[in-house]
Amino acid sequence: MSEAALEIQGLSKSFDKQVVANLDLKVRPGELYALLGPNGAGKTTTLRMAVGLTRPESGSVHIFGIDALADPLGAKRLTAWLPDEPMLYDKLTPGEYLGFVAGLWRIPPGEAAPEAERLLRWLELWEQRDTPCEGFSRGMKQKVALAGALIHRPRLLILDEPLTGLDANMARSVKDALRAQVDEGAGVIVTTHILEVAERLADRIGIIAEGRLLAEGTLAELRARAGSDALTLEDAFIRLTRTGE
Amino acid sequence: MTWLMYRLTPGGFLWLMVNEVRLATRAARQRRGGNTIWAILIAVYTAAGFWLASNLVGVPIPPAPLALNLILAVCVLAASFMTTQAMLRSQDTLYLAGDLDLLLTAPMPPRRVLLAKLCGIATNIVFVFAAFTLPVAIPVALLGHPGLFGVPLLLLALAMVSACLGLAITLLVVRIASPRTARTIAQIVGAFLGAGVFLGSQFLSAGPGRESAGRALLDWLMRHNFGGEGIASLPGRAALGDMPAMVAVVGGAMLVFAGAGALLGRVFLASYQKAPARLTRSRGKAKGGIAGHFRKGLFATMFAKEARLLRRDPQLAFTIVLRLIYLVPIALPAFTHGRGPPLLPALAFASVLIAGQLVGSLAWLTVSGEDSPDLIAVAPVEKSAAERAKLAAALLIAAPFALVLPLAIALVSLPAALIALAMTGACGLAAGLVELKFQRPGPRKAFGNRRQGSFLVGLLTFLMTGVLGAGAGYLVWLAT
Repeated sequence: MSEAALEIQGLSKSFDKQVVANLDLKVRPGELYALLGPNGAGKTTTLRMAVGLTRPESGSVHIFGIDALADPLGAKRLTAWLPDEPMLYDKLTPGEYLGFVAGLWRIPPGEAAPEAERLLRWLELWEQRDTPCEGFSRGMKQKVALAGALIHRPRLLILDEPLTGLDANMARSVKDALRAQVDEGAGVIVTTHILEVAERLADRIGIIAEGRLLAEGTLAELRARAGSDALTLEDAFIRLTRTGE
Repeated sequence: MTWLMYRLTPGGFLWLMVNEVRLATRAARQRRGGNTIWAILIAVYTAAGFWLASNLVGVPIPPAPLALNLILAVCVLAASFMTTQAMLRSQDTLYLAGDLDLLLTAPMPPRRVLLAKLCGIATNIVFVFAAFTLPVAIPVALLGHPGLFGVPLLLLALAMVSACLGLAITLLVVRIASPRTARTIAQIVGAFLGAGVFLGSQFLSAGPGRESAGRALLDWLMRHNFGGEGIASLPGRAALGDMPAMVAVVGGAMLVFAGAGALLGRVFLASYQKAPARLTRSRGKAKGGIAGHFRKGLFATMFAKEARLLRRDPQLAFTIVLRLIYLVPIALPAFTHGRGPPLLPALAFASVLIAGQLVGSLAWLTVSGEDSPDLIAVAPVEKSAAERAKLAAALLIAAPFALVLPLAIALVSLPAALIALAMTGACGLAAGLVELKFQRPGPRKAFGNRRQGSFLVGLLTFLMTGVLGAGAGYLVWLAT
């Protein structure tokens, strides 16, 4: 059996109150996993612990078999993180930003430059490659950040609300990009408030509330768990998060 | 002020004006520190004002040429500062505040919005001047010199005229160039005004006569008697309670205010309507590849990024240069024809201080002032390696500037230059390491307030540069 792209076991974290409680979660290579939950459910904290931005109190995080807590650099080499607020420098152009990100991941310039050009063309940013990001719309900034996340060809993509504020065309570009990564064998975990995206895009869905995984599975499995095959994901989500089953 | 709004007609000019004044007051308080600090400062200052007032009871304050000239000079200086501040606030109002969409879609004429905004700008820029003038002027006026009630009126008139002038200049520059240029110009002019006054006073104090700068300025004004008669005497006479002068000053300001509303209304609206399109820096059509942006190795990558960010932020770069300008007087005593300290040790001392300040500033920007800390944190790079690369970038950017004074010393004495160079390098490195070790992270735009984050870093840097500077001066003195 192949290694999980992301395997979280017994992960816990509390700030003023318990935010994530003994969470287990697995994302396979070539799978898009959508993590859903109400506001304050612990989704972002979970993802931040997975990428090493927040230290868990207990539990483990493995990325393609690498213990992310024991060997963070090894895990980071394989991972890309795309938060809801793009990690950009307003005064850098998309080309310069990708150059910087490629340098951080130590991608040789000979490999990184053509890949950056391919990404910028694919995301329709090539014409803006010499314009500083400060004047970009939110959607364009998100696309630049996505290009930055993909420039080092990650095997695991972790995305927090990547579609927030994007128009239909931009959202489609991002969804296509994610699907392409999955088709190439990468594992993708994404949080979203847009249930339709999870419904259409995700191979498996996890529903989290108060830091605990309430339910997990394909859409059909979640419907069955919620009590009816005729339910939409929204109905199933509401039913599961209200009953806390 | 909310209570006052309840009593005014909603949507009317006064209602809108009070709202702007309320917002401006809150913004000014937030920018300049907490309420408690201000309350203590003003209470102490007011107490000092009452002490002064009690000593002035029965002492006449006549509109003598000395007082009139002094008030004119202060007014010119204050109006200059207020105008540059008004340019910055106008830019904020037009492009950053975000409430113009709401105001201009409300059923009220744009001119009313403009006039209310001008009131807000005037309140904003008068805040500091009022805080430092009125706690003294009002007690003196209350205890026997009612003529000084003219001071707040004069301040108000100055703020109104400066607000109109600042907005007019901003709209003009925006029309000719861009909002970004307008902001840069306002910051640079404002900074030069401050630095000019400071350096001018220092040069006068360090000059052959070694007279007090204030005394020299007063003597000069008195010789020419600019503010003693005619229109130029109006501010002085208004501040001291001359009724016709007060009417002339306040009436003139109100005329300017009304005129600005009538003349600038359309330009203001047009400028706002074009704002979204003009805020972005345009670089023309993109051409050529992007291969040149890719570097091999962590240091080259960091250096390229930091150098670009600094180059593209002229305001920030200028702020750093300005801090260096304020250090120039340290070396001035050495140029006093043998009456001050010896030249080379003084230059070595200044060189070390400048390096400490420069590298400290750049190291804060590169190490602490990281706008995307999460990007660095999720990259497969050791935190210490990233910080070392950033510190090295700061040192390399500072190096050409830090070399200037050691090179100047080399024209006279090579050993002294080598000592100065070594101590300058050591101080730069130490200042960078202090930033690296102790400073708290923050966004680059917080550069101006970075010392508020850590008193310890400021103290350490000050002590370290002082000791190393003194050491450099002493060693150079021994060597020469």
